Amino acid sequence: MLSFPVTGQVIDTVKAVPDSELVVVAPVTSLIAADHKYDDGKMIDLSWVPSIDDRLVEGNVMGYKVYRIEGDSEPETIAELAPGSNAYNDQSVERGKLYSYFVSALSSNAETPSIRTAPIQPQREWLNIELINVLIMALVLGGAVIYFIETARRGKKLFVRKIAGLEAVDDAIGRATEMGRPILFIPGILDMDDVQTLAALTILGRITRVIADYDTKIFMPVSRSLVMTAGRETIKASYQAAGRPDAYSDDMVTYITDEQFGYVAAVDGIMVRERPATVFLLGAFFAESLILAETGNSVGAIQIAGTARPAQLPFFIAACDFTLIGEELFAASAYLSGEPKQMGSLKGQDVGKAIAMAAILIGVLTATIGEAWNVEWIQHITTGLRDIFSTR
Amino acid sequence: MGFWDVFGIWLASALTIGIISFLYRDNIFYKACEAIFIGTSAGYWFIILYWDNLYRKFWTQATDPTNPEWYVPWFGFVLGVLILTRLFNKIGWLSRWPLAFIVGAVAGLYMMIYFVSNAMVQVSSTIMPVFTGSWVDIIANTTVVLGTFCGLVYFFFSKAHTGVFGGAARVGIWFLMITFGASFGYTVMSRMSLMIGRIDFLFGTWLGMIR
Amino acid sequence: MRARELIVSGLIILFFLACYFFSPKPMEFSRSTSVLIIFLLAAAFVYVFIRTFRGRFIGRRVVFIFVGVALVLPFFMKFPLPLQISPEVQSVYDALEKLPPHSKILASFDYDPPSAPELQPMAVAFMKYAFEHDLKIIIMGLWPQGPQQADQAIQAAFIENPDLKQKTKYGVDYVNLGFQSGYEFVILQMGQSFKSMFPADLYNTPYDSIPLLKNVSNFSNVDFSMNFSAGKPGTAEWVQIAVDRFQLPLAAGNTAVQAPMIYPYLKKGSKGKKQLIGLLGGMAGGAEFEKLTKKPAKATTYLLSQSFAHVAVVIFIIIGNVAFFREKKGKK
Repeated sequence: MLSFPVTGQVIDTVKAVPDSELVVVAPVTSLIAADHKYDDGKMIDLSWVPSIDDRLVEGNVMGYKVYRIEGDSEPETIAELAPGSNAYNDQSVERGKLYSYFVSALSSNAETPSIRTAPIQPQREWLNIELINVLIMALVLGGAVIYFIETARRGKKLFVRKIAGLEAVDDAIGRATEMGRPILFIPGILDMDDVQTLAALTILGRITRVIADYDTKIFMPVSRSLVMTAGRETIKASYQAAGRPDAYSDDMVTYITDEQFGYVAAVDGIMVRERPATVFLLGAFFAESLILAETGNSVGAIQIAGTARPAQLPFFIAACDFTLIGEELFAASAYLSGEPKQMGSLKGQDVGKAIAMAAILIGVLTATIGEAWNVEWIQHITTGLRDIFSTR
Repeated sequence: MGFWDVFGIWLASALTIGIISFLYRDNIFYKACEAIFIGTSAGYWFIILYWDNLYRKFWTQATDPTNPEWYVPWFGFVLGVLILTRLFNKIGWLSRWPLAFIVGAVAGLYMMIYFVSNAMVQVSSTIMPVFTGSWVDIIANTTVVLGTFCGLVYFFFSKAHTGVFGGAARVGIWFLMITFGASFGYTVMSRMSLMIGRIDFLFGTWLGMIR
Repeated sequence: MRARELIVSGLIILFFLACYFFSPKPMEFSRSTSVLIIFLLAAAFVYVFIRTFRGRFIGRRVVFIFVGVALVLPFFMKFPLPLQISPEVQSVYDALEKLPPHSKILASFDYDPPSAPELQPMAVAFMKYAFEHDLKIIIMGLWPQGPQQADQAIQAAFIENPDLKQKTKYGVDYVNLGFQSGYEFVILQMGQSFKSMFPADLYNTPYDSIPLLKNVSNFSNVDFSMNFSAGKPGTAEWVQIAVDRFQLPLAAGNTAVQAPMIYPYLKKGSKGKKQLIGLLGGMAGGAEFEKLTKKPAKATTYLLSQSFAHVAVVIFIIIGNVAFFREKKGKK
């Protein structure tokens, strides 16, 4: 970081205006140009003390103009600021070039420039030390995930608590078989890059294994073409594993449209016409969630839903028989598949939650005691905890 | 208003009423409107994806002789073509590479975004003295702290919900349900607003009955 | 097609045709008619409640009719609604008031026509305020239809205040950069350079030829930002990238379904700074903003209809619970 105070160089850039009515204001002082810390070398921070006429005499200073001089070129205006301004971040500089600045205080018909700063070159830093707490937290969490994945791979059974709703899956499939009506599976409306869709497809694999055994029909309308191909692969693999490859058909998974409400209109039509006995609504949903859940409810289907989008959970809870709330969707996916990576990730995330709970508990206790009894060292603990989890 | 404007308003009104008729029961008008909507939307998104992604983001930049980084879009183009290999069984495995790239790039971007803004900063904001200020502040702070803590307990999967832990999880689910109820209320407002917009169109723009 | 469906369809078509040809334009109920209608509605609710209490439950379609009537009829009534200004809406207004004339505002329109009933009124109110106070607007969108919604908001502002049309000039007072695909990656790139994402505006005028965009290279050159959002990408992404990384001052208008998710960003962090300056939540937020700008318009008009609908929903929640416990008692 380089910062230079005034160097005694004055630039005469006062514009030609009728001099009988010139309103001359005092210039800004203590103009400092400093390289912005921990960046890519693309920002220079300017700070100054506003004109004394801005501080003491209201209305005389109309604003400030920031000028930049690149190398030996002419000054260019890079910003016009309101009265009272005392800082500016120039984010349009290039690494490796030399810049100097001056700031003009503007009156109604004149401007008074400040002294120019010495040339400064923005520097790049490879590491943002201010975000070291984020790095440590990420390493702790990442390390926990990797540890548990390896533990699961070694064959150790990882405990995951019982998830309500999962026990109903087999009963729901059995119901559809007894009634001779199909099962409808809706994997949300996002694409394969969304983790909720991946979780839904993992659960689909488990469900279709049972469906193939019971010889029940399944329909899966999708709104993304990639999800269609992934869905077909998943169902086909399940039917093959169940020894029923002949029962599989590509028509089980159909692409409708990418448009949200066009997809909803089509799925509603399928629900009303096919009258499924069981509807699975698992994945990422948006405004269409209540429409789908209500329509499924109106045709008398048993509905098992799960999404990690908090805005849609209320509708599923109100209109569906069982709901996997938020992370329970991913837990269900891990629980059903038993896959080491998923189980390990789940347990690793629990480490993060444990850290958060501990931090909140200790932080709130120390904040309350520190404030009530004004104990300084306890207040330091509170501030420290807050800073560990903050970047602002 | 020209002929086509009036025709457009009448057509939009007929389609709106056709879709709303589903509230009564599934019928031939709804089926027709549904098919029109699906077809139009598929066509619309095809055009948007073609012009805004394929043409604007790829073709104009990749074939611009003045662009010093003209080769970068070709990298994306190759990855895009590889995704299409999923349609062919024998070479379908190639599509995993672009998917891995997307998932990795998005994970890297979201790492900072979600981890910092949605997790760490929220923990920091929850660390507060509960017994401070007026009674309203005490109740508000206690609610925030209790709700956040017990919510985290509910989503802790490594321990069964028994004993004190189970009690805290129960409190957590109560907080969640109350939050969902409040969120539901907000969403009812949102849905009513959308219906109001349609009513304004039908009774205002079409029938002219609303000022 | 069944005869009953044909008859119902015919009646609906006749109703609308009758409205089109024979109804007064515009239609407005007198005060006494409005009161009579409210009284009749209340009586109908009481009847439904008593029926339910006696175990004779009504069907779904009756609920739809009640809600439909509660939504439609208030459009023809004129009742002033008391409106409390919430702190988050006041914050948006105060932040805008502090901006000196000629300040540059980046306005991102991240919604489409399905969300327009909620967001368009606040967008129009914002545009009117901005043009009246000589604030310069740089419009863009992360959703394809967003820039078109912005154009419609500007046209609506001009219709409501024709002087604004004379006063404002495209390219000098406002510019529409159009839509750019890429979700939050667009915001990330804009932190370095607007021109890299928007080499030309919506009408293909090169970026460098637009007077308003002279000296505007990235977020550091705008004084304020306003985001109208209906989903993803939207306010959350703008906060997470533009605010957290580039310290862009940001306020937002959201649909009511999104608003609860955005409230955490209104909390102050450990260093005393809020991520989001203020929030206009749904139609109510739009109506409050109209009240603050002293220009009641569509959001305020719609709010009466919304209030009636909410009362209807609350009454049906009570009736529904009565039906639930009645049914439970019946089974015992």
